[in-house]
Amino acid sequence: MPKNTPKRPTLFSSFKQRLFNKFIKNKHLKNSITLEHKTIYVLPSTLGWYFILVAALNYIMGTNYQNNLILVMSYLMMVMSVITILMGYSNAKGLTVTYKNVHPNFAPLNPTMQFMINSTHLCKSVDIIYQGNVKTQVLIDEVTTEPFLCTLTLPYNQRGHYLLARVKIKSNYPFGLVTVWSYIQVKKHVLVYPSLEKVFTNASLSQREDNHDSGIIKETGSEEFESLLPHQPQMGLNRISWKHYAKTQHLLVKDFVDFKATNALFDFNLMSGNTEQRLSQLCYLVCEATDKNIPFVLKLPTKTVSLNTGQTHKEACLTYLSMYDGRIP
Amino acid sequence: MSKFKNENAVNYVLCFIYGCLTLFFIPHLPILFLTVLATLCFWNTRVIFANKNKPAANVANILAGCSLGLMFYSIGMSDTVLLFVAMLLLASLFKLLQAKTKKHYQVITTLTFFSLSSVYLFNQDILITLAVSSLFILNFAVLGLLESTQSLNVTFKKSGKLLLMALPLAVLLLLFLPKIPAFWQLPGPQLAKTGLSEDIDPFNIAKLANSDELVFRATFTEPLPNSPYYWRAIIHDEFDGNAWLTSDYIKYNKKGSSDLVTDNSAPIASYSVIVEPSSQKWLYGLAYSTSNTHNVNSNYQGLLNKENLNAKSIQYSVTSFSLKNLPLTLFQKKHYTQLKTTENSKTNNLVKQLKSKTKTDRELYKLLLNYFSNQSFTYTLTPTPMSGEDTIDQFMFENKRGFCGHYASAAAYIFRRAGLAARVVSGYLGGEYNKNTGVLTIRQYDAHAWVEVFIENKGWTIFDATAVVAPERLTGSLSQNQPLNTEFKSNLNFGLVSLSQYQAINWLRLELEALDYKWSSWVVGFDEQKQNTFLKSLFGKKYIWLVPLSLLLICVISFTAYFIYLNWPVKKVKDTPPIVKAYNDVLKIAKSQKINPDPTLTPTQTLDYIALKLPKASKPLYQFKHLFNQVRYGHKPFTKERKTQAKDLIKLIKSSK
Repeated sequence: MPKNTPKRPTLFSSFKQRLFNKFIKNKHLKNSITLEHKTIYVLPSTLGWYFILVAALNYIMGTNYQNNLILVMSYLMMVMSVITILMGYSNAKGLTVTYKNVHPNFAPLNPTMQFMINSTHLCKSVDIIYQGNVKTQVLIDEVTTEPFLCTLTLPYNQRGHYLLARVKIKSNYPFGLVTVWSYIQVKKHVLVYPSLEKVFTNASLSQREDNHDSGIIKETGSEEFESLLPHQPQMGLNRISWKHYAKTQHLLVKDFVDFKATNALFDFNLMSGNTEQRLSQLCYLVCEATDKNIPFVLKLPTKTVSLNTGQTHKEACLTYLSMYDGRIP
Repeated sequence: MSKFKNENAVNYVLCFIYGCLTLFFIPHLPILFLTVLATLCFWNTRVIFANKNKPAANVANILAGCSLGLMFYSIGMSDTVLLFVAMLLLASLFKLLQAKTKKHYQVITTLTFFSLSSVYLFNQDILITLAVSSLFILNFAVLGLLESTQSLNVTFKKSGKLLLMALPLAVLLLLFLPKIPAFWQLPGPQLAKTGLSEDIDPFNIAKLANSDELVFRATFTEPLPNSPYYWRAIIHDEFDGNAWLTSDYIKYNKKGSSDLVTDNSAPIASYSVIVEPSSQKWLYGLAYSTSNTHNVNSNYQGLLNKENLNAKSIQYSVTSFSLKNLPLTLFQKKHYTQLKTTENSKTNNLVKQLKSKTKTDRELYKLLLNYFSNQSFTYTLTPTPMSGEDTIDQFMFENKRGFCGHYASAAAYIFRRAGLAARVVSGYLGGEYNKNTGVLTIRQYDAHAWVEVFIENKGWTIFDATAVVAPERLTGSLSQNQPLNTEFKSNLNFGLVSLSQYQAINWLRLELEALDYKWSSWVVGFDEQKQNTFLKSLFGKKYIWLVPLSLLLICVISFTAYFIYLNWPVKKVKDTPPIVKAYNDVLKIAKSQKINPDPTLTPTQTLDYIALKLPKASKPLYQFKHLFNQVRYGHKPFTKERKTQAKDLIKLIKSSK
């Protein structure tokens, strides 16, 4: 797994960021943006500046040698730069990017962000760039009027809780000479859960051993044999213990329960290893428990999540695990 | 991001462009160096074709160093422009050989725009222009390829369309934008500067610098002819009120002299000349000169020109005849007496006086010569600058100080005003004769200008007022350092002259020559002066300030129009699928048979219904129904075979009614 070493922001980029925050942030602080006059920015790209430089060089050469053909070349290049600006602007105009959701992920996998993209007309070569310290991007060849779901991988692979950076919507259409761009800034966070570290249940699962039999809730299930019951007509034939019938001519029915459906306590202090490892183990346990439908209590040094089960409970627990910073509030 | 879809296509196209560039430079670059360029192109193509890795950086760098050395060795350091172009080509090709990322390719492609225009420094033929233009479009297509995943064909068409759209505006800019003089003096495509210039405008010059730079050396095979030696180089036949210019009539009249030397007069001299490297086109000869040396053109006026401009010194042999006594044609008479100004009233009065005193041309000639010697004219290299519309008057009656240019301008003006055909000729006068070697050396300070006037019954005669004003200083120099006058000679008539006995080919040759003339005159030769004339004719002298305004207006309007066109809301018309079109055709046939199926029926039912009514066509109709269902509902693609099948079936239905 390559490690992303975030680059230190350069002076220029921090200046850009400040400029952005000061002047235009509010325009882009929404969950959906349609590119129009107010929100499109157009400038020649790096290549475009080179191109203009070459046009200027051609102009100098043309005038110095009084060469009309070179001059025409230079003028052509200049006219083309203007045309590409018009084309680039018209291409990007009417593009709508709508924030859909973020999908957290378990470290070291990257979380993703999803957008719905559509346009009033055919819009070509759109780049969606996430502008974190490390940039990630998706290139979309063509955007049509049909909404299109675009998934952007976020450059985070370590456990944590990140504020979403702004996303740049950029197009270099048609010749890469101009950059037409806009931003969308979503005020949301994204979580990277701890990585999953497998724990053997017996070793570290702390069942709630309250010494009460009532602590174990028996539920009719299919895994553990519990007892034999007399057969009732509505019980069907598939659980009849034919062995007993052969011996005793009594129709008895086998009864099963799910033994594991017990309450569990996942305690940070009972895990082994360093903080990250413990969190990873807890994370695994939480997922396992949710899969098996076991209600559990998550106990962190800073926070205790009360007994519950289900997806929302799991998400709440995972959130606490991701955000855990070891400090007691 | 390092890999992109079109990398191979981009490589091929760039190799192709540089291959073509190598071809264009065959006449200018040494073969050895061209071979290096061609090898690099081929190598890169090979690498891409075999899907191999590009050579490692240090290998390429070592090779680049070697090639650079080879370049300096084979081209030499004398011609800086050629060296620069060679270096540009070499650098681009090596960069291409190492290019891996999209950024690398983008840099190469932008540089190629510069390499392409450098071709025009050496050649401005129509054919070359067409070829370079298509390469220009191709280069744009490469930019498109780098940015999108479309194919070369699509991007080429797109960029071609766009450039075609941009061309009128670019031409308009060329026509309307003021032509500014060179920012700084760059070395020419071939080096050097000579003292002569195509325009003689002595009146605004305050100081004339002397230079002892060698211009040419002449070696006489026979004893020297009689002096003085007027080495003719340029004829200035057009007077615009201040300056004497070379008109297109002279510039582009490439008619050879060979067929004109028909009189039996013996040559007055034959000699060989070695000219120092120069960027100028003209060569030097005495009186009416002809030369049979390869690469030297002799023209109608008895002047010699280089066939193509190169930096090397030229040696050529000349045979000179005395200026001919051929009568002037009506056009020539008119051309050589034309004056575009009515100013200089004092001089005009003087001309009237002189004319009233004389009867013949010869007398006028003598009288004018006397006038110059008696009226206390002085020769100087630091004349008083004059400006305004009546510079001739100022010179003739106020200052009376000047160098050869002043005297020649004034005298030619007076002759023309008097109705005599006259022209200013510039070149060199005299030279330094070395008795031991028999070589006459002409240096820059020998530059001179004089008048040739057509005298009845005598023909063109030299009139040199300087000779009477300052006989001792006949070596006045006329070294105006005009920046390059790169007049390029185009060779469009690829040896068609040799085939001129066939009428069709001769016709073609003449047409091509005419086209070439127009090209040189209107495109290549569209200079500041022509621009002024053009703009004045378009806007009038008073409204010249309208030029920038209208240019701006046109640009804004065309860009706005294009922008509106781009953003015009396109009403989505859903294309009828081709199979439905075919179905509609069947319905039409049915209608022509007066079968009107119920519109509420499904297509299958409709086709069944028609088949019932048209039992003869039932078989193809059923087949068509099958096909229709397959394509429309069975999600089978409407392939070419199916299309032809549909067509055939429709034909069958139509014929079997």
